[in-house]
Amino acid sequence: MTLIAHAIAPVPRSSLKGGEGLRGRPLSWSGAGDIGLWSTQWDPADKLDRNDALEHHRLLERICAVQPCLPVRFGTAFASDDAARASLAGRVDELRAALDRVAGKSELAVTLLWAKNSGASAPRPPDPATGPGRRFMEERLSRHASREARKARAAELVECLVAELSVERALVWHEICASEAVAVSLAVLIPSERAAERKAVLERLAGRFNDVVGVVNGPWPPYSFATAESSVDSAPRGRT
Amino acid sequence: MKELTPADASLLELVDRLLHKGVVLAGHATISVAGVDLIYLGLNVVLAAVETLEGKQERRAS
Repeated sequence: MTLIAHAIAPVPRSSLKGGEGLRGRPLSWSGAGDIGLWSTQWDPADKLDRNDALEHHRLLERICAVQPCLPVRFGTAFASDDAARASLAGRVDELRAALDRVAGKSELAVTLLWAKNSGASAPRPPDPATGPGRRFMEERLSRHASREARKARAAELVECLVAELSVERALVWHEICASEAVAVSLAVLIPSERAAERKAVLERLAGRFNDVVGVVNGPWPPYSFATAESSVDSAPRGRT
Repeated sequence: MKELTPADASLLELVDRLLHKGVVLAGHATISVAGVDLIYLGLNVVLAAVETLEGKQERRAS
């Protein structure tokens, strides 16, 4: 019997209603110092699938509703309770600090998708009168310019959102142009009791731009902030 | 390329968080590639996560 990890939480552990993990199997608590790990007792012969991933998410929402928690990456498994405890043992202080940072907070996610026919998207068509070599180079140049224009616009969109949100930059994570369709993926950590209000603000902000379609998700567990790093940046954490 | 709808984007963002974010503990990743394919529902745009996962497993094994 193995354990599929869900979340790190502080002691005392909450009495989770039903005490059920994935597929109705028992939830297990592995304590280490003043923190512990919630996991599901699991038969290693069973493969995890899409439904288990979504159930892991719902389980995290239940845990986060009753106590501070750090989501563990889906798919993490331990051979035994001892192995689970050992994985926490050397990191109790840093994980405790991370728990303090997310306590009482939830994550809202903003995705900005490039709108159809958004200006920065289409590379300039090549001039058919030019030779194949020149046409090839011009096409490359045009695609490069188009990509760079999109990146610049996406960075501008991030700055607009962060400025309007008026939150500490350390509480914002973002990534730009992660795929052809996505201009911006941004997460912000907000007090849970203000989640509905902040979500409405974000939806309004995201709907302001003509060249992108905004999608706001959450509130959900603080996935993007469940790191054990303690440094606080002056700029929003992100990738370009 | 398949156009990404807002509903796709919501699922994509959630799946990306489940598989890419959160605390990384020294456990053993058990998601099979087939399982991950099921999770992704054909959203090829995030298949990079599979490579990340496989790469980590390989690095851990070596």
